[in-house]
Amino acid sequence: MSPSFLFSQFMGGLTTAMFLFLIASGLSLIFGVMRIINFAHGSFYMFGAYLAWQAVQWLHPTGGRFWLAALLAAVGVGILGAVTERLFFRSLYGREELYQLLFTYALVLILGDAAKFIWGTDQLSVSAPPALAGSVQILGTTQPLYSLFIIAIGPAIAFALWWVLNRTGAGRMIRAAQMDREMLDALGANVATVYTVTFALSAFLAGLSGALVTPIQSIVPGMDVLIIVQAFIVVVIGGMGSLWGTFWGSVIYGQVLSFGILIFPGFSLFSVFALMAVILIVRPWGLFGRPL
Amino acid sequence: MFHRYGLVLASTLLISWPLAASAADTIKIGFPIPLSSVGAVYGKPILAGAQMAVAEINANGGVLGKKLEILARDSKANADEAVRVSRELVIKDGVDFLVGTLTSAEAPAVSTVAKENKIVFIAPTSKSTILTDPQHIHPYIFRVASNTDVEGLAGATSMARWKDVKTVATIAPDYAYGRDSIAAFITALKKLGPDIQIVDQEWPKLGEPDFTAFITAQMGKKPDAIYCSLFAGDFVTFTKQATPLGYFKAIKNRLIDGGEIGTPDEAQALGSDYPYGIIGDSYDPVLWSGNEPPAHKKFIEDLKTFTHAQYASGWSIVGYQSIYALAAGIKKAGSTGSDAVAKALLGLTWDTPVGERTFSVKSHETYAPEYWGEMVKEAAYPFAVIKNPELLPKSFQSTN
Repeated sequence: MSPSFLFSQFMGGLTTAMFLFLIASGLSLIFGVMRIINFAHGSFYMFGAYLAWQAVQWLHPTGGRFWLAALLAAVGVGILGAVTERLFFRSLYGREELYQLLFTYALVLILGDAAKFIWGTDQLSVSAPPALAGSVQILGTTQPLYSLFIIAIGPAIAFALWWVLNRTGAGRMIRAAQMDREMLDALGANVATVYTVTFALSAFLAGLSGALVTPIQSIVPGMDVLIIVQAFIVVVIGGMGSLWGTFWGSVIYGQVLSFGILIFPGFSLFSVFALMAVILIVRPWGLFGRPL
Repeated sequence: MFHRYGLVLASTLLISWPLAASAADTIKIGFPIPLSSVGAVYGKPILAGAQMAVAEINANGGVLGKKLEILARDSKANADEAVRVSRELVIKDGVDFLVGTLTSAEAPAVSTVAKENKIVFIAPTSKSTILTDPQHIHPYIFRVASNTDVEGLAGATSMARWKDVKTVATIAPDYAYGRDSIAAFITALKKLGPDIQIVDQEWPKLGEPDFTAFITAQMGKKPDAIYCSLFAGDFVTFTKQATPLGYFKAIKNRLIDGGEIGTPDEAQALGSDYPYGIIGDSYDPVLWSGNEPPAHKKFIEDLKTFTHAQYASGWSIVGYQSIYALAAGIKKAGSTGSDAVAKALLGLTWDTPVGERTFSVKSHETYAPEYWGEMVKEAAYPFAVIKNPELLPKSFQSTN
């Protein structure tokens, strides 16, 4: 195995990882703050992809204007998230987890059918923005510019989230809600708004990742369910509710998948699930999580 | 209020009862097919083809003086669901025949329902050999599709034509169809190109969102050419990730895919991102430059009108063929009894827009060849089309 081959495997794993992080960060955020396991996060991701396709059709049917379309899609999904929280999730806080699970699962089915109703069942596709459609040679390997962009945007989102949560007033409120909701309420803060904003932020991240995935993936019904399983594995590995846990969980997932198929070529998912099983046995609360 | 509605409901039921009974003048065909989930991409055009065949047959007076009627149910591309809706169609709706299913997960499962209830079942698309192999065959199961052995032979025939290809790698979805199709390709290639070596095999899961690691691992083995069984959304995703990695350039676009990526359905999704120059296949090339049979031209024109589509789907043909096969069987049997129709279908030859098909007496399948060819850009269309579609394989000898 030549060094350049190992390098391209590593870069491939990193691209996978950063994509998963974009999706999983919102999932982890909602769990951390609201203790809700949101199965519908994958549906928000799917809506991000479909909305991005729709926005490209409106703005520039022959392609182009991709960035504006992606932003519109992410904002659109953020609004959808806020509305969903206001209308439905609000009455679920403090209820048994089973109800929340059932509700988010119902949401998966409803949003899945809604997407089919609006966009049909054909596979759709968005071309990469022209500036990032090409590739560059690094260490004797061909690296797509779009992958390099994704690898860059992963840590950027991680730092931005960290900054918002730790260095801004809104972030302080979110962290306070995470620690003790009742106390925050008693202090006169508007917890309901904090929850809505958090949920909208999480949905925005899901929508953004869905929009950004369109240049390298087909948009098909069912993409919501496929991604949510992977996102959950990442969150479980890293530790539920931990931002950096989710980040490193994604990195580990990507590399294990990438090099795992070299060792077990016939069983591509084996290494990833084996890793999750080991972590659940040794550290059930995840690498960066705290024991419950 | 409730009682009044209850009364109305009850009397409506009573009134409609004799009507339902007189519906014996129609021949009911249960049609389990994916209408939601990923499989709907194929399920819908297949059903549309079948519905068009039914409309044509009914407009010409039906079969044995009876009208055909399709009862479509969503099988969700899932074996359990397909079995559930099939049982319901047979027991509750009292269908006379079953036609449908998409995947090789659903079809063998529904085949057992057909066997239990002694009802003819025609599978339009399932390709896995287990559907009709000696362990699973029964009098009521028939297959219109090609099977993986036929597909593998066609792919190997095409591959062996590249005289300077010495090393080949494969990539296929990790489930029954993918595994069977690659095994069949390798078996056929050993005979047709004994010097060619298989240097790498990748097995991403069905619906894999990220092929990057598989692509780079495969490129690391530096194969001369690729045999691929990825299809539908998976092929779109794969292509979008492989192109910027220089995958197609490294193999000089020498990739052959047996997963019906030659259909306009697939080509339209990729548009200008399609890796022009690769070899694809289709049950129906749809857009046919050159030697297009007139019957096919008419079929596509009718289909475009029937489905209100700018370009027709490459999948409708199999649904259409299946209904005509059943109609021919009923006509030959002179009865709608499944035992008589099953016997009539053995060795039956019927005409379709892409040539005649015959059910083998022994294995109940057609060994249908498909249209293969280089995927090229044509000025008339904003997406790839098959150049000079060629029927492959030329002949097929079953080992069963």
